Amino acid sequence: MRHPNQAALALHAGGDLGPFRRWITARHLAHCAACREEVAGFNEMRQLLPELAELPEISWNRMAAEIKANVRLGLEAGECVRGQEMPLRRQASMSGWRAAVAFASVIVLVAGCMVLENGTPMVAHAAERSVESTRYGIEVQTGEQRMLGLMNGGAQRVIYTLDAQGSMGARYIDPETGSVTINTVYAQ
Amino acid sequence: MHSKTKIRVAIWGLLGAAALLAQDAPLATSSVSIDLPKDSPVAFMGMTTGSSRTTARGAALVLDLNLSLTLRNISSNRIHGVTLRVVSQEVAMGGVGSVFQPGLNVGPGEAFPVHIATKLMRPAQMAGGPLLQVNLDGVLFQDLSFYGPDKLHSRRIMTASEMEAQRDRLALKRLLTEGGNPALKDAMLKILARQEAAPEIQGRIVRGHTITNVALAAIAPERQEQFAFVQFPDGPIQLLRGSALIAGGEARTPSIEVANRTDRPVKYVELGWLLTDSNGRAYMAGELPSTGTGFSLPARGASTVSQQNTLEFSTGGKPLSIRSLTSFVNQVEFADGTVWVPTRQNLEADPLLLRVMEPSVEEERLANLYVTKGLPALVDELRKY
Repeated sequence: MRHPNQAALALHAGGDLGPFRRWITARHLAHCAACREEVAGFNEMRQLLPELAELPEISWNRMAAEIKANVRLGLEAGECVRGQEMPLRRQASMSGWRAAVAFASVIVLVAGCMVLENGTPMVAHAAERSVESTRYGIEVQTGEQRMLGLMNGGAQRVIYTLDAQGSMGARYIDPETGSVTINTVYAQ
Repeated sequence: MHSKTKIRVAIWGLLGAAALLAQDAPLATSSVSIDLPKDSPVAFMGMTTGSSRTTARGAALVLDLNLSLTLRNISSNRIHGVTLRVVSQEVAMGGVGSVFQPGLNVGPGEAFPVHIATKLMRPAQMAGGPLLQVNLDGVLFQDLSFYGPDKLHSRRIMTASEMEAQRDRLALKRLLTEGGNPALKDAMLKILARQEAAPEIQGRIVRGHTITNVALAAIAPERQEQFAFVQFPDGPIQLLRGSALIAGGEARTPSIEVANRTDRPVKYVELGWLLTDSNGRAYMAGELPSTGTGFSLPARGASTVSQQNTLEFSTGGKPLSIRSLTSFVNQVEFADGTVWVPTRQNLEADPLLLRVMEPSVEEERLANLYVTKGLPALVDELRKY
């Protein structure tokens, strides 16, 4: 059985999963006590830290207006320090490159607001390469994609060793050959 | 009605195509390439692919490889260890692994099996070439001489393993001489008891030093934890000070300062790493090697062993709550290629090490022999060395 990752369980606990993922996760939870416990743990954590769910209301429109005003102020301040011989051209303040800069700033601001308002949680390890021990062996993954795994071939007892440089070893008595085998998978 | 029928036919067609795409197929022998150098001391005799399968999943091929290789010692020395390098797509997205067979005692002309069970994924449309390459990375002989390209530091790893094996065989042979079969049997039972008692720990390594579990970090703020040390007074390295960043079951950027007590420059230091959880239970967490960090430790000098990766620890599927860290010197390689490993007295003197450390590779091999073939077979085995 493949378990949902911790981010999915945390999102499920908070009711933040999309409809399809929510359905898939709920189906898994119905059969998996370990994941149900994880979700219960996340729920407890939410109760312990209610302030996490109570972000202060932010007026994005007001913030956008303030930033826009600050951009204008900055442009005007730039004009002031340019020198006495350069005439101030207030009447042309929103034309040419300045208009383009202001427009681009507003676009970035609006896009930023949309991303922030959607509240998508950031997962730090989205596409990082990792090495992980599983029930059957050790695997190297990039994000969700499994690249290479060395399996333990049905060995009864396996000793895993983590190497802080980025590799993992699995030591076991090979049931086929009867000899000790040490598999190592490298994250590089 | 007519259009509904068309839609149904199209849906069934798509489902059928998907099912066909997901079908298993046996692995062609040409999918695996075994490359041994021309002057290799081992010869490739044959391979069976057994239950190996390839499965198409969309744009990717999933390969379950179950390979049994037969190699033959064509050198004039006894072989005590072999490491094979297993490579899938040696380009940007690929993976590299190794299969190390320690504890061998293969005489000239004798054949021996190596089993490789691997699972890998590669793009289905990747042009030509084998799916998996198996190369020889190193062969270690009885006299500790070595052959091979050593891309994976097999020389050091196999030499240290062989030195531990010699150390443990010597101790068991001494027991046999002094106390006879009952003493040897007692030693085997103790090894088996240690195997049973060793607490299980699972791990995950993430390259880089980001916090990987945001939720966990929220309830367990990161802290700097100092390492405690188990020192070996007669060993070549002294541990000075060190710390790691800890958050719940995650440990990041471990760093330990070490001093060389000898007049010989040191090329490599490997530190063992124990951790204790909030219930006071101790675990053998792993190793902190000095490779990849531009490490250099001159005679009588000092240096720092550090890594930048994040290690996550769990037990029984639940993250550990790390309370304290302990380190000890596990292996040292000098610039001249000689290797130091702790003595049995070193390891047995400290109750924490004695409690937590797994039996060595050789102890495990001999205990397995005792369980499967009995005491007479074990005595015969010890007499071969």
